[in-house]
Amino acid sequence: MTHHTSRRQMLWAMLGAWIVALTVGACSQAPAAPAPTTAPAAPTTAPAAPTTAPAAPTTAPAAPQGASIKIGCSLPLTGAFADTGVWVQRGYEQWAEDVNAAGGLLGRPVELTIYDDESKTENAVNLLNRVISVDQADLLCGGYPGTAAAAQMAVAEKNQKVYVSMGGHMASFSQGFTYVFGAPPLMGQWWYEGLYGWLASLPEAERPKKAAIFTINNPVGAAILEPMPEELSALNIEIVVNERYDVPLTDAAPLVTKAKGAEADIFFANGFFPDSVQIVKAMRALDYNPRLIAQGVGSIIPAWVQELGADGYYVFSGTAVHPSLPFEGISRLNDVASTKYNAPVAPIYFIFGYAWMQALQRGVEGAQTLDQTAIRDWLKANQISTVAGTFTFDERGLPPSYNYLTQVIDGKVELIWPPDVRTKDPIYPKPAWGQ
Amino acid sequence: MLYELAQSLTSGLLIGGALAVLSVGFSMAWGITHVLNVAHCAFAVLAAYLGYWALNRWGIDPLLALPIMLPAFFLLGVAMHTLLIRATARRAHDLGLATMVLTFGLGVVMENGMLLAWTPDPRVLKTAYSALTLRVGPVIVQAPHLIAFGLAVITIGALYLFAERTFMGKAVRAVWQQPMGAALSGIDLDRVTTIAYGMAVATAAVGGVAMSLLYTFDPATHLSWLVYVFLVVILGGVGSMLGSALAGLIIGLIIGISSVFIPLAWNNLVLSGLLIVLLLLRPQGLLQR
Repeated sequence: MTHHTSRRQMLWAMLGAWIVALTVGACSQAPAAPAPTTAPAAPTTAPAAPTTAPAAPTTAPAAPQGASIKIGCSLPLTGAFADTGVWVQRGYEQWAEDVNAAGGLLGRPVELTIYDDESKTENAVNLLNRVISVDQADLLCGGYPGTAAAAQMAVAEKNQKVYVSMGGHMASFSQGFTYVFGAPPLMGQWWYEGLYGWLASLPEAERPKKAAIFTINNPVGAAILEPMPEELSALNIEIVVNERYDVPLTDAAPLVTKAKGAEADIFFANGFFPDSVQIVKAMRALDYNPRLIAQGVGSIIPAWVQELGADGYYVFSGTAVHPSLPFEGISRLNDVASTKYNAPVAPIYFIFGYAWMQALQRGVEGAQTLDQTAIRDWLKANQISTVAGTFTFDERGLPPSYNYLTQVIDGKVELIWPPDVRTKDPIYPKPAWGQ
Repeated sequence: MLYELAQSLTSGLLIGGALAVLSVGFSMAWGITHVLNVAHCAFAVLAAYLGYWALNRWGIDPLLALPIMLPAFFLLGVAMHTLLIRATARRAHDLGLATMVLTFGLGVVMENGMLLAWTPDPRVLKTAYSALTLRVGPVIVQAPHLIAFGLAVITIGALYLFAERTFMGKAVRAVWQQPMGAALSGIDLDRVTTIAYGMAVATAAVGGVAMSLLYTFDPATHLSWLVYVFLVVILGGVGSMLGSALAGLIIGLIIGISSVFIPLAWNNLVLSGLLIVLLLLRPQGLLQR
């Protein structure tokens, strides 16, 4: 084999790797593209504050007795999703600590086994199979992110095990599965529910008129984009640009010039942190300042404000949980995050993890057994309370659609809508850059 | 339409410069030393972090930190070549493949080291000139883009002058073009390839700082930057400094033009098609020097 031939083969291999990298880049953040939404037209109501959620124990309860209840799952503790995966793990562990301190589950101690799936979906599937068949866990905890959760949901369903997680958007809950629950789910299709609600509350003259939508070309983006044309049309907002882009995003300037050229006064950047940062930087540099900027899933993480500073202010987004929500247990989680992990407030995925385990706990306590079908049936028939709110579930394991509207104001992610959870009045229209 | 085209072309061209300087060292290392350094962009991300650190810890602009980083990265490259690459070369049947595996492992180690040192949180470099712009008619030029382009021009220009005007540069070229002949002429292959490799790693530092002016980065970013590097090297020709420069600019221009006339989501389709055609028609790349 000559050097020339070898180099040529390498070049072809590189081209192949490049195409694979693009494909993986497009698919690595979430599961398969969502099926058409079949969600019933449930009223958009945020979960009500719970009335029955137990507070942290104040008096020493009886110590749990008997054999441990084994709970197992996998999480991305290393790799691309490790930063948030670790917070889900901390949420699970905090829940286990609290349950054991409060007398256990059904009077027995709980024992968590969390494997590291290295942020790989295939590992997540294999490890959940191991949890079920080798470890013979009594209960399952949910995986993360959506790709892993969606893949694991099929495994759990096949083994008839209750599986509570964020899910993988609407597609994962539209498979006819009966043992899966999103409590709460992270649902792309619901992402701007709060924004639509708030915009509808504005007098029509004050609403934006023209929307430019740029969406990351992957299933998360597709899920967020899916209901937007209909929702914006109902608000009499015309979509003047609607495009998808691949990641990594090489240049944000063309996106911004298209929106600027079309005189869009509401700009949707339905993407993740890196691409959305590029877009915001390009918007500022090209002096494009629409009345409202809505962003996908990048602006509610602490890095948004830490790294972008004031340029990241006034951006609207959505969330399913928030450390300022008035639900019982949230303030305590904030304290725990502060004292244990030196975090200013409980990170969103810490709350998610805790809430998913609470949902499972409610099912077990309600059914008074570890029988999976009994737990499933109890959860489907009853209302449960968690640190993320109070939920009932439909036949797919989903609560009625909801999401909160957030806005970054003075460096904090504030709750804007619904009004009963509002922590600050919205800043609208967006002030000029640098103000 | 004209405004969009002018704006997108300008932006694309400047970004192309950053891609070129990120890639030139990878191309050099492969062409001259036959080392497929897939950890090249891990070095670039390391430089981005060091620049970020210099700015946020000591208030030193990453551009001012570069004169310190360059010799440090050069020495790092020399050490890596002396201790790892040469040892591998002595045992390997296929140097390209062996070093690809070796540097892949090194990249994983570096990524995890950066995770430990700086956490997985994404970073954005905010310098005094991050928000500065220059208006040329209706077109707005972003200062970080212009500076990244300037870094590319200076670095690739200096490398070209080194290769053309200095004895060592000529030795490097000789080793690239005909290693056996160079050895017969009395050129110390080990010494020349080690120096060339050190220079290649040093350019990764410049590429990393240039890219950090434009993009967010985290420890895993090196893999997505490597995607750009592959693209530039395939197009420009392995080992060709001017080829890297030209390829970077062409890619930037294609992205700029195609973003205006076709949907954004088709950008990569256009680039992939172009590369397949190029590999079929001109597998050696655009330039050979």
